[in-house]
Amino acid sequence: MSTVTVIDPTMTATREIEFRDALREAMSQEMRRDPRVFLLGEEVAQYNGAYKVSKGMLDEFGPRRIIDTPISESGFAGMAIGAAMMGLRPIVEFMSWSFSLVAADPILNNAPKMLYMSGGQFGCPIVFRGNDGAGGQLGSTHSWCVEGLYSNVPGLKMAIPSCPEDAKGLMTTAIRDDDPVFFLESERMLGMKGHVPEGDYLVPFGQAKVRREGTDCTLVSFGRPVNFCLDAAAELAKEGISCEVLDMRTIRPLDIDSIVRSVRKTNYGVVVDQSWSFGSPGSEVASQVHQHCFDDLDNFVHRVHSADVPTPYAFNLEQEYLPNARRICEAVRSCLYRA
Amino acid sequence: MPTTVTMPRLSDTMEAGTVIKWHVKEGDTVATGDVLADVETDKATMEMQTYDDGVVAKLLIGAGDRVAIGTPIAVIAVDGEDASSAGAAKPAAAAAAPAPRAAASTDSPVAVTGTVVMPSAHADTGARARISPVARRMAEELGVDINSLRGTGPGGRVIKRDIEAAATRKGSGAVAAPASIMPVVAAPAPAAAASMPVVAGPGSREVAVSGMRQTIARRLVESKSTIPHYQVSMRFNMDPLLELRKMLNAQLEPQGVKLSVNDFIVRACALAMAQHPYFNASWAGDRIIIHGEVNVGVAVSLPAERGGGLVVAVIRNADQKGLRQISLDTRALAEKARTRGLGPEDMMGATFTISNLGMYGVDHFTAIINPPNSAILACGAAVERPVVRNSQLCVGTELDATLSLDHRVIDGAMAAEYLTTVRHNLENPATLLV
Amino acid sequence: MSMLSEPSTSHSFDVHGKPGERTSAPATTGRRDLVDPALCRQWLRDMLMIREFENRCMQQYQDKKIGGFCHIYIGQEAIAVGCTAAVRPNDPIVTAYRDHGHALARGMAARHCMAEMFGKIGGCAKGKGGSMHMFDREHHLYGGHGIVGAQIPLGVGLAFACKYMDEVIDGRPNSRVALAFLGDGALNQGAIHEAMNLAGLLDIPCVIICENNGYSMGTSIHRGTTMGHDIISKAIGYGIDGYVVDGMDCLSVYHDMSAIVEKCRRESRPAFVDMRCYRFKGHSMSDPRKYRTPEEENQYASDDPIGRLKLHLEERGELTEAVLKEMQKEIRDEVREAIAWSEASPEPPMSELYHDVFVEPHGPFNGTSLPQMLQGKDLR
Repeated sequence: MSTVTVIDPTMTATREIEFRDALREAMSQEMRRDPRVFLLGEEVAQYNGAYKVSKGMLDEFGPRRIIDTPISESGFAGMAIGAAMMGLRPIVEFMSWSFSLVAADPILNNAPKMLYMSGGQFGCPIVFRGNDGAGGQLGSTHSWCVEGLYSNVPGLKMAIPSCPEDAKGLMTTAIRDDDPVFFLESERMLGMKGHVPEGDYLVPFGQAKVRREGTDCTLVSFGRPVNFCLDAAAELAKEGISCEVLDMRTIRPLDIDSIVRSVRKTNYGVVVDQSWSFGSPGSEVASQVHQHCFDDLDNFVHRVHSADVPTPYAFNLEQEYLPNARRICEAVRSCLYRA
Repeated sequence: MPTTVTMPRLSDTMEAGTVIKWHVKEGDTVATGDVLADVETDKATMEMQTYDDGVVAKLLIGAGDRVAIGTPIAVIAVDGEDASSAGAAKPAAAAAAPAPRAAASTDSPVAVTGTVVMPSAHADTGARARISPVARRMAEELGVDINSLRGTGPGGRVIKRDIEAAATRKGSGAVAAPASIMPVVAAPAPAAAASMPVVAGPGSREVAVSGMRQTIARRLVESKSTIPHYQVSMRFNMDPLLELRKMLNAQLEPQGVKLSVNDFIVRACALAMAQHPYFNASWAGDRIIIHGEVNVGVAVSLPAERGGGLVVAVIRNADQKGLRQISLDTRALAEKARTRGLGPEDMMGATFTISNLGMYGVDHFTAIINPPNSAILACGAAVERPVVRNSQLCVGTELDATLSLDHRVIDGAMAAEYLTTVRHNLENPATLLV
Repeated sequence: MSMLSEPSTSHSFDVHGKPGERTSAPATTGRRDLVDPALCRQWLRDMLMIREFENRCMQQYQDKKIGGFCHIYIGQEAIAVGCTAAVRPNDPIVTAYRDHGHALARGMAARHCMAEMFGKIGGCAKGKGGSMHMFDREHHLYGGHGIVGAQIPLGVGLAFACKYMDEVIDGRPNSRVALAFLGDGALNQGAIHEAMNLAGLLDIPCVIICENNGYSMGTSIHRGTTMGHDIISKAIGYGIDGYVVDGMDCLSVYHDMSAIVEKCRRESRPAFVDMRCYRFKGHSMSDPRKYRTPEEENQYASDDPIGRLKLHLEERGELTEAVLKEMQKEIRDEVREAIAWSEASPEPPMSELYHDVFVEPHGPFNGTSLPQMLQGKDLR
């Protein structure tokens, strides 16, 4: 990436649009700017997107650049990777990141490794995107949080916006990035409204944002759960606990410096991660915080994850399964010895 | 140039092979691809082919021989050279198995991300006090004695708010509550303010100071500068004690117990606490705490490899222990200090301390009170001197003992009385047996 | 197994079976006329080069200079050489792990391939790929892939990109064709079927070439694959034209592939080729080949593709013994030099460990750079 223009969105934002609109704006702006960018996936063209993210894009860009694929994730992910090796910049939509599992070989064994295996000859400037996470009573096979699996692999970047303004800025960065990017959205957030600047702007990878300043406890989170953290922080403020909420925005690269800065200030860390706990981004953050902030901690880093079970269908069970605001409050109080 | 054929690696896990059967004999002509032998590997029997055209000059091993991969097993004369000129195999010319690939190249390895090594400032003393890292650090910085705190965290863990609360309780001007010598050091003690810089002159050398030594240093300074010390001395007639000791040791020798003079002194001082409870007490600012247990600290010298110097090891409930037990405890602590090192439970909680330099031939000396004690007894050697007994000049063995006392807790009269009781105990040593 | 054996006329073994009647697919030409003799001699030289290189690879592997896996192409040389001759230099090629032949046929220097297998910095992937990952941007070779079948969606993607660049970006007709090679063992991978469906659906000019040697490791095609005697039926099932080509005959490969490739290029359509051949060695270096009989092996070995082309040239007076001997000597010297060069090439420096993970440097990852063999070259 050459020059990074980051306009502070809060200063110039004058309109509110939905998360899905923000994604579409980013993709469309980039496709107008660079003819090598194209979108493929199931129902992205004529259906206008299973979740209406690509609505109207077929009309603007035509069927050569907005391509409906059959249900063959492994095949079309591999095909897109081959195209990226040749220098095109594909955006591959998985209708749900749960469906990426059948494409695990190309997206994990090829895309992140191509540059290395070829000794620097062939990169893979590709974006894989789709809905990640639970919450819509979609059942256990449709509710994956793949960051728990894929963040492990070197050679890929992983972005996970929590709000519309970051959705657009991170997507723009992802498309312009010369490396493979896994872009994790959320079906539950697609309708979320937020201030989004017009024009193109980049939200850089590896730079967390402090969504709420605080002094008593550091809350670290990614994606949709950032919003649960903000709810929890508001609740805890009533008890006199001032939480600092960090929106990491990207899991890889991880902005550990921002986390360390905050924990050194507050002496307490709570990670909120929607993936299952074993071997997750949350466990990685906790481990790194223990390493870098060992002498600054008054308690071990607490973690709030989705429950370690297959995602249940029943509404009440699923709500408890999620790392909800109530469980975050409990974790913060426990961490601060105020349980 | 003849080609030496070596035992090939026919499977990726193979380490040695056996020629089951040679398919050629010396003098045979072979072409690339011809099978030379059947070779048994770890997994299967495989054919071994030749990669060169030529004449088999020599077979170096026989059927049934098992050799490691890379071992020369045959010589082939190539390009029409004289087969007989091949002679013995030249290992240097052979395609011998190369040295195992070294894992590291000559470059210094690139540090792997994430393995930042934190310098360990924690002395390894076995069990450690339960305290959070930030609380430990704050305690050092604020000069709070964590031994005097009861942690409010789970399992009694001392946490940040405990330190904050303790620091506010200190009040203005007063130094932190005195602490016994702490064996576990979280971080090197902060440098003393406004000390005169020491210039190392020519020929001098510097010795690194361990964290523990720095802590000991700080405690001593605190003790001497905050406790109003004064001394009271008394001289004891040691003859009766020495005689009793000799008799007891003779009886105890088969059991491997050997009582020392110090053991008697420990018991004598401990027993005296019953009548003189203020010698088993601590100044606590607005009150004096008279301790329930009589825990006598004895100075134990640490070997150089453990940091050298003296630390105080504690004999708990010394008033309830007989001479034999006191002796065993003392020896055990000395042994532990020398081998595994003393743990906090060995060094914390003394209510009165005895320092004995008698074995070094010292006549008398004064010791510095070991906070939060109120007194310390410094004992010299038991020496033969001209003495006056029953108005007669004779030779007797005497020991000089000097008490250092905290005048806030103990006044001179109390000190005299205590020493009188101790003298009574020592000069009538039978009292120590009951 | 001599390189110079005569073709045999008795065929009691047939690992492939008889193809069924086909009405939709045009027959392959089966032409074997000799092209420009100089070109033919070059192809013979190329095949001899591959043969010598692979022989030396086996030797180097057994001498522990080459680690991991090593898959030998001996017996299939006519395919790499004939297919390369039938396409243009900028038509992209992708293949599986039996890739040394394709790399050499495409024009890669023997030293860079050998050094790659030795794990040295002079290798085409700076020693970080290994035997299964021959890549060459200059010669449009997109690997060298280890996972069975995974390269076929990539090949379809390469062709897709060629067509997209020509038609969507440059607004002119598609000019390129991609060749994607697989073995008969890969036919049952889901990725192949998904790729064929996409290629047929989206009119992607990719020729999918199955180097059908009748065995996937130790499993004969009849034990693992339905319709193993008639595999083009699988492609036809996806609306793709299928062809059967004699992969042991360089001239047949050249003529048939030329026709197939030109059709695909012109119509911008995929094609599937059942390239029938036989691999003379095991699946990899650890394979004792117990699943084949010596009689079967000898029969196929006596019909060596190199022998066929040599005989063809000799019968037309286009090859003398002296020229052949000179060729063989040059090749032997070249491969020997490649080995010496590779041994002298240093191991990759430790900094290469964190190099080429990402294009841009960040954290411990220090960006990317081209291998030595491509530095200073004008790529595209």
